[in-house]
Amino acid sequence: MSLFPIFQTTGSGLYANRVWMDAVADNLANMNTAKPFDQPAFQARYVEVQSVPGEGNDPVGVGGGVKVVGAQFGSAEGQLRYDPTNPLANKDGLVRYPDIDLADQMTQLIQAQRSYQLNLTVIDRARESYQQAIGIGVK
Amino acid sequence: MGAINAILGLIPGAGGLGSTGAAGATPVAGAQGAQGAQGAQAADGSFGNSITNALDGLNATQSNADGLAVKAATGDLTDVHNYTIAAAEANLATEFTVQLRNRAVETFNDIMKMQI
Repeated sequence: MSLFPIFQTTGSGLYANRVWMDAVADNLANMNTAKPFDQPAFQARYVEVQSVPGEGNDPVGVGGGVKVVGAQFGSAEGQLRYDPTNPLANKDGLVRYPDIDLADQMTQLIQAQRSYQLNLTVIDRARESYQQAIGIGVK
Repeated sequence: MGAINAILGLIPGAGGLGSTGAAGATPVAGAQGAQGAQGAQAADGSFGNSITNALDGLNATQSNADGLAVKAATGDLTDVHNYTIAAAEANLATEFTVQLRNRAVETFNDIMKMQI
């Protein structure tokens, strides 16, 4: 337990949200990654997180932040598009594109960004509070 | 009496006024000392010891921040917030330690100026 435990907790939140933004960035970057018909499409990444239990001497059961435990993958089937000019197309002219919805990804991006900002605000407030606590009784 | 002992406990070598013979008090114990003399009987010795511990902790915090600053400069830093959080923590720890020291010195001076 450090002297300023909030930083650890909020830091974990910042990290988780950064990873979330990374995942969205990866999904968006691969939105147009075409694959041949007989191969799996690019699978959207979804970050999986878990809450961290508080440290031993915590009396009321307040947790210790969030932990990134891994990524889940979206559909490998993707969506088939008719695109006969594409060099990857099969004899029916079908190409496999990832099943990623732009609006959904943008919504997630906004959520992740806001959530990141939220954690930054918590850090700011915590720092302010600690500073005031340190300043108790200063003439 | 407990309160006075607690304050004196903050000063190395000042001992206690009463017969409790408290060797000293940690700053935290000193704050609680107003409630009773047992606050002055801190477990781990003098104010000197506790400030040494505080400085050790401060040093660790700062070297952590320094290490991350080097990483930022060399491009090995993976998360910007890691460094800024460490820097803020080091800043707070420094402020805290300086405050501890200031108050101890202030108390010491107050007692030295006491009319006998």
